[in-house]
Amino acid sequence: MDYATSFGLIIPELVLTGSGLVLLMIAAFGGEKASRLVSILAAVALGAAGSLTIPALANGAGGDASMAFYGQISADAFSAFAKLLVYAAAIGCLMIAPGFFGQRRAMKPEYPVLVLFATLGMSIMVSATDLMTLYIGLELNSLAAYVLASFLRNDSRSAEAGLKYFVLGALASGILLYGMSLTYGFTGTTSFAGIRAAQEAGLSTGALFGLIFVLAGLAFKISAVPFHMWTPDVYQGAPTPVTTFFATAPKVAAVALTARVALDAFGSQADAWRQIVIFAALASIIVGALGAIGQNNLKRLLAYSSINNVGFILIGLAAATVEGASAMLFYLTTYVVMSLGSFVAVLMLRNGEGENLETFEDIAGLSSTRPGVALCLLALMFSLAGIPPLLGFWAKVEVFNAAIQAGLVPLAVIGIAASVIGAFYYIKFVKVMYFEEPVGRATKGGSAAHWAILIICTLLISPLGFLLTRGLQAMTDTAAAGLFPGV
Amino acid sequence: MTEFFQSLGMNYEWAWFVATIAGILLIAFPLMLAVAYVILIDRKVWAAINLRKGPNVVGPFGLLQSFADGLKVFLQETIIPSAANKGIFIIAPIITFTVALAAWAVVPFADGVVLADINVGLLYILAISSLSVYGVVMAGWASNSKYPFFSAMRAAAQMISYEVSIGFILVCVVLWAGSWNLTEIVEAQRGHGFGIVNGFYFNLLLFPMWVVFFISSLAETQRVPFDLTEAESELVAGYQTEYSSMAFALYWLGEYANILLMCALNTLLFFGGWLPPVDWAPLYWVPGIIWFLLKTLFFFFMFSWVMATVPRYRYDQLMRLGWKIFLPMSLIFVFVISGYLMATGHFGNPA
Amino acid sequence: MIQAIAFYLFATMVIASGVLTIMSRNPVHSVLWLILAFFNAAGLMVLLGAEFIAMLLVVVYVGAVAVLFLFVVMMLDVDMAELRAGFIKNFPLGIAIALVLLAELVLGIGALGAGPLELGTASGANAPNLANSNIENIGALLYSKYIFVFEAAGLILLVAMIGAIVLTHRDLKTTRGHQNITKQVRRNPKEATQMKQPTVGEGVEL
Repeated sequence: MDYATSFGLIIPELVLTGSGLVLLMIAAFGGEKASRLVSILAAVALGAAGSLTIPALANGAGGDASMAFYGQISADAFSAFAKLLVYAAAIGCLMIAPGFFGQRRAMKPEYPVLVLFATLGMSIMVSATDLMTLYIGLELNSLAAYVLASFLRNDSRSAEAGLKYFVLGALASGILLYGMSLTYGFTGTTSFAGIRAAQEAGLSTGALFGLIFVLAGLAFKISAVPFHMWTPDVYQGAPTPVTTFFATAPKVAAVALTARVALDAFGSQADAWRQIVIFAALASIIVGALGAIGQNNLKRLLAYSSINNVGFILIGLAAATVEGASAMLFYLTTYVVMSLGSFVAVLMLRNGEGENLETFEDIAGLSSTRPGVALCLLALMFSLAGIPPLLGFWAKVEVFNAAIQAGLVPLAVIGIAASVIGAFYYIKFVKVMYFEEPVGRATKGGSAAHWAILIICTLLISPLGFLLTRGLQAMTDTAAAGLFPGV
Repeated sequence: MTEFFQSLGMNYEWAWFVATIAGILLIAFPLMLAVAYVILIDRKVWAAINLRKGPNVVGPFGLLQSFADGLKVFLQETIIPSAANKGIFIIAPIITFTVALAAWAVVPFADGVVLADINVGLLYILAISSLSVYGVVMAGWASNSKYPFFSAMRAAAQMISYEVSIGFILVCVVLWAGSWNLTEIVEAQRGHGFGIVNGFYFNLLLFPMWVVFFISSLAETQRVPFDLTEAESELVAGYQTEYSSMAFALYWLGEYANILLMCALNTLLFFGGWLPPVDWAPLYWVPGIIWFLLKTLFFFFMFSWVMATVPRYRYDQLMRLGWKIFLPMSLIFVFVISGYLMATGHFGNPA
Repeated sequence: MIQAIAFYLFATMVIASGVLTIMSRNPVHSVLWLILAFFNAAGLMVLLGAEFIAMLLVVVYVGAVAVLFLFVVMMLDVDMAELRAGFIKNFPLGIAIALVLLAELVLGIGALGAGPLELGTASGANAPNLANSNIENIGALLYSKYIFVFEAAGLILLVAMIGAIVLTHRDLKTTRGHQNITKQVRRNPKEATQMKQPTVGEGVEL
């Protein structure tokens, strides 16, 4: 293996590492004054890394040519697609942060640096083709995330969110490591290709246990039921820009990672893990939909919504076909756009004193005080609910289509039924905003950056965005094909 | 030595066993004797610097002073405070003493004169010296008394802090020597400076590291100016406050054995161990062990010299020196030295 | 013979001190037993010929991690009675986890039959040269085949450090305790002192 080739293949990661280290120096010597500069430079670095990723996706890279460092990491089309999504979400989260933290005089230049390192971790996660790389990427991302969750260290809820996330995250890492050690023990290798090869003949009991533990650990990271309990608390407690980050980029990375473990490492034993994934998918959809109904806090509600959406994403994975993986990526993209938009909209709701508003009472009659934000939220909620002309609907169609093609008809039927329950609380949002007496609390908020992101997200999910679906679908197809060696 | 015992008609395993025991005794007894006299030297050096006479009553020139002190503590009653945690209270000095002796197992006194010539010798010393903090911490906690406890906390933080930079300094030396084995490290110093001087100190990149190492070894052994663990003006006698009799003596012996070990390490790592100072044939007629002992004694003199002249640090200054100056400095030197060695092809061509 | 004696000595000590770790009433005793267990585990590693790992175990776990652990446990006033109450409450969960671990152990023993592990590539083509000492082999592997993972692990530590600083660092407004050593060293008697020779009864102007 030629090291120059290897390093050439991980150039996006190298760019992120290098700029992270340089920005850390700027942050250390510049102090809080440098926050803005560091944020901008971090976004530029992410953009640069993203543009370096494009060729791999455009060429549909895959196979041994895209493997670096003795097959520990792969720069194929699938990872390129996931990376682009992660980088875009991270840029969005960097843009919305200064306004929020600036208000509380809590903006520190370490924030963008941590986001950058977390993104690097995700970048490693999505391209990992070895259990060790997987774990290293996951931990790099998680450690940065724990710190980000408690970034408002004087706010007790933020600190609680950080601690909760850390303790449960450490437990999940432990479970994951158990699974990995079992898998390694029974297959004799940590590389995905090797694990796959070792199981062509069949799955041993030990490796099955390993698979279960690995999937359980990963389910925590994507907050799929039954490992979702941390999500509402952490999403509510963490500062809103950080919540936005959690709901978008790490989720993409964790889903992509799960897909690669399931389809690549355990690809020959799809029957073994399909039941687990189907169970997690259905449980997530139902728990997410039912749990959201009683919520009054908007961030908590969106947390349940994210659990619910993970369920739909997992349906695509359960299909275990190229179409399924493609649909999964399609849904993932839509989900990122929708949650980015809705969290930014929540972030933009402030009262006269500049405090953030987070409950249903606060947004009653929002249409008369903030018609613009209300309209965008309307579109986003309808899209999340899956109302036809909006992008969310097409994503659901894709996923169910893939499930039916793979013969999972009952799964699709239950999923469709459950999405009707979910529609209830999304529409409650609209009802509160448009048909209740205006309380007139939300009067201010929203910098140019917030507006830009909100409008872009709304346009993307609007019927206008439908024009893009053909291109997106082509991309997800290329990316998904990268996951299936020899197809 | 194993062969010698085998020639007496023992089988291999018995011979190995007896030889090892004999080796341990051959190191431990002279070491204890050395400690007794080193304490005397210490007191004499301070006295000389303070323009006093020092111990001169017991025996000629006070030569038997240490034995008189030893006899005194030996005859005292061992007092265990009623509130103390008995088991740990008794074990703590034993740990300090044992650990201080155990580290000597890998120290080469001359070419081949070493109990265990293992390939991770230096790492072993690092591991063992990191254990010595337990004796202090356990004593402080088990005494169930405020001052010893403060002292234990100080000791734990201090020793961990300085161990970090010591570790990096060792990495610098190991990089240059290309081995963790102490014998090979000494051999690597033969003719290091212009082919004449034996010792890594004669090297612009390693000399600063020796300075840091010397200061860190003062801190690691809790000698003045870093003796905050037994700062008598603040903490009575620190972790030893509640100890009496042999338990106290064990601390004393262990402490000085550790100081001698650090002096020996200075010698072995930077000053060419048993090699004569200059790579010149007539100097090799003097046995290596003489050079080793002379150099070690020289460093012991430096330890006493520092003790007699430098006032004690404040605790925050101690931490500042360790974390903000020594640690970054030794890190930079690891970087610079490995970079230099790589650039000059010291490691050969990478595969 | 000697190896066998040493093995049984270390193994018994590991198990005994492991049991005592969870059985002791005093948390400080527990930590000390744990340290003894680490130390004996290091002994077992030496017997296996993995001297580098053994030394690292002592340096890292016994010398640093356990000291901090001991430090914290000594500072905390742990009420064992309260902990025992929790023990009863969490007993079912504990049993469940214990069963899982037991299952793992059984599986692990079963895994012995799966054949030896390969240390090189998946095909074993790049297996390391075992003629060198294990310290050299580990170094060679870490800096060649596993360079990416190794360096990324370094980044994780960096992030942990940034995190600790971000969450705990406070800019002190007071300058108490701050010391500018260069300034202190540069001070000389001429600047710091004044010679005055006041006449009797006049006093000194400051």
